[in-house]
Amino acid sequence: MASGQDSAGTTLMDLITSDPSAVSAGNSSTAPPAPSSTLGKPTTTERKFKRASLMQIQNDTIAAAKALNPVKAIPQRQHRKPVSYAQLARSIHELAATSDQKVSQKQLLHHVFPKLAVYNSVDPSLAPSLLMLHQQCEDRNILRYVYYYLARILSDSDAHGLSPGGGIPTPNWDALADIDAVGGVTRADVVPRIVGQLTSEASNTDVEFHARRLAALKALTSASTSNSEVVTKLYEIVFDILEKVGETKQKRKKGIFGKQGGDKESIVRSNLQYAAISALRRLPLDPGNPAFLHRAIQGISFADPIGVRHGLAIISDIATRDPYSVAMALAGALLDVLHLHDVLARISLARLCHTLSRARSLDERPDIKSQYASILYQLLLDPSDRVCFEAILCILGKFDNSERTEERAAGWIRLTREILKLPEAPSVSSKDNTQSKDTLPPKPKSDKPGLKSKRPQPLFKLAMRRLESSFRSFSRPVLHAAARVVQEMGKSRAAAYALGVADIDEGSQLYTYSDNVESMDSDLNDGSQTEASRKALSLSNGPSGKDTIAGLLASLMEVVRTTVACECVYVRAMVIKALIWMQNPHESFEELKDIIACELSDPAWPSTLLNEILLTLHARFKATPDMAVTLLEIARIFATKAPGKIDADVLQLLWKTCLVGAGPDGKHTALEAVTIVLDLPPPQPGVSASDPKAALALQRLVQAAVWFLGENANYAASEYAWESATPPGTALMMLDADKMVAAASSRNPTLAGALTRLQRCAFSGSWEVRIVAAQALMTIAIRSGEPYRLQIYEFLHALAQGGVQSQFSELQLSNGEDQGASGTGLGSLISPMLKVLDEMYRAQDDLIRDMRNHDNNKQEWTDEELKQLYETHEKLLDLVSLFCFVPRAKYLPLGPTSAKLIDIYRNRHNISASAGLNDPAVATGIADLVYESNATRKDPDSIDPELAMAWAAGLDDGLLGSNAPAMDRVNEFLAGAGTDAPDVDDENITSRPSVTYNDMWAKELLESYEVEEDDARSSGTSSPESTGSVETSISSHFSGVNYPSLFSSRPSGYGISQQSLVYFSFELTKYIRSFGESKSTSRFGSASAFERQGSPVREEPPSYSASVMQRFESFENPLAGFGGQSFSQRDGEESTGNPQFGKALYDFTAGGDDELNLDAGEEVEIDYEVDGWYYVKKKRPGRDGKMAGLVPVLYVSS
Amino acid sequence: MLLAVLFSNSEGNILIERFHGVPSEERLHWRSFLVKLGADNLKGAKNEELFVASHKSVYIVYTILGDVCIYVVGKDEYDELALAEVIFAITSAVKDVCSKPPTERIFLDKYGRICLCLDEIVWKGMLENTDKDRVKRLIRLKPPTDV
Repeated sequence: MASGQDSAGTTLMDLITSDPSAVSAGNSSTAPPAPSSTLGKPTTTERKFKRASLMQIQNDTIAAAKALNPVKAIPQRQHRKPVSYAQLARSIHELAATSDQKVSQKQLLHHVFPKLAVYNSVDPSLAPSLLMLHQQCEDRNILRYVYYYLARILSDSDAHGLSPGGGIPTPNWDALADIDAVGGVTRADVVPRIVGQLTSEASNTDVEFHARRLAALKALTSASTSNSEVVTKLYEIVFDILEKVGETKQKRKKGIFGKQGGDKESIVRSNLQYAAISALRRLPLDPGNPAFLHRAIQGISFADPIGVRHGLAIISDIATRDPYSVAMALAGALLDVLHLHDVLARISLARLCHTLSRARSLDERPDIKSQYASILYQLLLDPSDRVCFEAILCILGKFDNSERTEERAAGWIRLTREILKLPEAPSVSSKDNTQSKDTLPPKPKSDKPGLKSKRPQPLFKLAMRRLESSFRSFSRPVLHAAARVVQEMGKSRAAAYALGVADIDEGSQLYTYSDNVESMDSDLNDGSQTEASRKALSLSNGPSGKDTIAGLLASLMEVVRTTVACECVYVRAMVIKALIWMQNPHESFEELKDIIACELSDPAWPSTLLNEILLTLHARFKATPDMAVTLLEIARIFATKAPGKIDADVLQLLWKTCLVGAGPDGKHTALEAVTIVLDLPPPQPGVSASDPKAALALQRLVQAAVWFLGENANYAASEYAWESATPPGTALMMLDADKMVAAASSRNPTLAGALTRLQRCAFSGSWEVRIVAAQALMTIAIRSGEPYRLQIYEFLHALAQGGVQSQFSELQLSNGEDQGASGTGLGSLISPMLKVLDEMYRAQDDLIRDMRNHDNNKQEWTDEELKQLYETHEKLLDLVSLFCFVPRAKYLPLGPTSAKLIDIYRNRHNISASAGLNDPAVATGIADLVYESNATRKDPDSIDPELAMAWAAGLDDGLLGSNAPAMDRVNEFLAGAGTDAPDVDDENITSRPSVTYNDMWAKELLESYEVEEDDARSSGTSSPESTGSVETSISSHFSGVNYPSLFSSRPSGYGISQQSLVYFSFELTKYIRSFGESKSTSRFGSASAFERQGSPVREEPPSYSASVMQRFESFENPLAGFGGQSFSQRDGEESTGNPQFGKALYDFTAGGDDELNLDAGEEVEIDYEVDGWYYVKKKRPGRDGKMAGLVPVLYVSS
Repeated sequence: MLLAVLFSNSEGNILIERFHGVPSEERLHWRSFLVKLGADNLKGAKNEELFVASHKSVYIVYTILGDVCIYVVGKDEYDELALAEVIFAITSAVKDVCSKPPTERIFLDKYGRICLCLDEIVWKGMLENTDKDRVKRLIRLKPPTDV
């Protein structure tokens, strides 16, 4: 039994052939090629001719195969040996020639064709044999395989077996099959022949032939739709068939699926209709073509249910582009379709009705629109959950992912206001019986609220009841789908609230003819759904609950909440998303918070799912900015409960958006939600060893929070140096440090709180956190007025001296890291910061002194003095801009008193204040984004000043633009995109996918060459993934912060932020030094030095202290950032360094420009190998004059 | 759009896969993701018990049948419930071919016919035939409705 073996070492073919009982009675190498066999029964002379030509090819290929292969082509016994592709290919050639013999047919059917199916593509050299079988063979089972393989040849999109077939990759054709040696059979050769043969078959009107005709038509649709010739032919065939059989003469009989009776003619007709419309469905849509639409509409009345499905699907697709024509052409054709048996058909029907009932172009025909709306509403009663849910989604305005908010809002109104006026429901009960086999899972019988009474029913009530009953299902897909529908309902509801179209009184009675008299005494005043009323309602939860929207919703939400107990984590995730969407701003969210907190304690949650919920919070915020504080509270639960699993980028973006959205009152709360992250306990050494990923993620999260605090504390605290009109609080500055802190915190507790946390991080966090904390403090120092700047200055100073540790020793949390001689290891980083602050304070002192002098002497400021002052101002601005963004026009490094003098100088010399282009930050690209976003966003009339400040402080959404990966993720999520494959975050998966087969295959194939294969080759070509993963893990381990920041917004890959940080501080030191040394220099010449900032360090910064340098040397590692490149370079070098020689084993004829002709025995130098090909060089030019080119690996012995 | 149909054995070896509209560089990720899903959840599951998962706007429904795990991935109109329909068609065809929930051996012995069934059920990323009798007829090259 295959599964008992070490399956890591087996291929699929091994698995299939491993059982001795699966007798593979030896391929008939003994079977004569029998070229003269003519027992097939060709019917026309034309076919005879074709057959003769095919036979010729066949014989040639077989002869060539035999002549060229010195080894016995087909082993006699294959009991345990896997069957190679080449063997199968040869068998087909041989057996095709003798396909009239029973034994050959048996071989083909039971041995060759099933095994060939294992390979993911079929090479064109098999086509002649397949075509021969197609013509000669009469065995239906064999023929079915032949169609299957012909279709696969047609569908192969590229030459290297990347067809959708799957399975073991088919080995390189040329390299494998000797067959090609006589000239080669390429796809380009065989495809027209296959198409020709299938086309003629598909056009054959012989009734006896019609099963093959259907199969041929199906096989033809596999051809790529980019091949216009084939597509044209297909259109011709399909329209030709439909022209003949499209008209339905008799009414469709309602019988069970496929079992309807009828005469032979009508059955054949129905089969042809089915085949033609199925093929049409696979062809590109042709919306402008009236014939296309006409045929599709004919399809609705076909007898074959699948045919009807395709007809409806095509119409539904066309309707999205041209609703008017569809509506006009349809007129009355949909009468019978409500009772279709096919679920997918009814889904298409729902979508079609939605499109037509919403079409603008049909505004003048309200009768038509309401007719389709009515059909759509009736589908709410559909026995299939799938159809009912589709109908609800359509009513809600959720069609694809491109709906506008208005449409969704209108959807909510529709769902809550519209009434379904039931038509007389004639065949409802009979329909239900016949459909039970179509619907999955079987629907509870009690679930037909509207069926018995013919009274009009509010849609909302129907939908709610249906959803409630679905939530009681045991089927996970049903639960998941129902939760998704509730989520979409929440989205539409949020849209309605956002647009204010919702003068929705959810407490009012639904317009209803309900029989429930007791529901009439429901409280009409519970419009705002308070906690109390909700609890009260949940008590009376049941089918006869209160008939208000709020009542029904509450009842539904109660059921939704209980679904959280489902053991499937994906269902739970969807339920939580639904709850988040159904949460209204004015409602208490305690329950939701509890549910989420409880859920997150479960370690089973995969991180991707948690991040999707985070993204849902984003989306919810976008829909209702009022909910910022609520959402932040929820995000806080994520940060505290599962810090190791969530994407710091996404969380940070959520903080940011919510902070902006929180408004003046919520800003403090918003910032608190962030700082809470800093209070998380550091991962214990044991934990980080057992779950390094989570520990790393936690660290990233803390870094992100620290950075976020630094960047946004000023915004949250509304404290800006450039906004305070008063000069540095001299009175405050006279106080000693403790009093200063007290005074500061009483003035602005938000900022003071942030400062305290950052200070703690700056000496007690891990090394990576300390760096970010120091930067964050510097940012706040620059942006804040006094006494904060002074407070930070003092702190940084003490930090640089290493003296803080003793001061804060009681707070010190050792994380087991040696913090270096300076106590923090940050000396080199802090000193440039201190220098800038020193410069600022010195310049301020100078200014005050000068102003006093001028005042005392009653002198006017001369132009020269003003110029000097202005230059100092500009230089300081430049310096400051290197650390963080400040609005150049407003920022006054010399203090508020300098404003007047600088204005005088600017006015005198016509200098524009906003001339930011000389800003080194701009020149080096650091602040590009900021300026761009400001430029594009500027709209002074409509800008809320508060928001403008947010932009200035780098809080704007657009700031991060397309550069930030998190932003991409959020936008992608909001757009509902994303079919890309998920990342599997667990390393110990037991997956051995067919890629392993690939490797196995290669191994098997290249056995004889293995010895000479060097490691460089295998690491360079066959396992890029492994290189990549090492690269990623190392770089992510050391790169630290990868979140969006001004400093890391470079497009330069990962793994460099700290290198550049060092480089940055190094350059900055130089910069400041030059500033200090030559004060008279008017402009800094070192902008070019900063240009290199975008690339990682290449030279070692000379002034860097040795201990830190060692650390960085470990970063300076080819794996970081430049890993891929340097690897490939090295590969190239190594392969050129060790030339390999080989000898041609066989003749090889080049099939393309890059290939090289070879004569057997010729000596060549092997340059490198790629995908089963060697790039070789010859000693002298060959018959084609070429010296070098590609040859199949198997043709050369190395 | 039906993005993928994938069969694996209980050890995570992929037995059959059919992708449609999935770039080749993403297939590896999908394989690992699906196999991991199965390894995490299908142990001890009942035959044909349906499991569900989602990733962004893509839905996944999977189940176990005998020794074989079956996964289907879809998007847009192929949501969880439609995929349940697809997987139902597939399992009933496989059961039909193997005459019971297959062991791995039986599945591999019937490999060719299962491929043909799959070809009839899923055609160019769309669900085609769901009725097992109809599939049975079609893989023998008989017309969908017998004359």
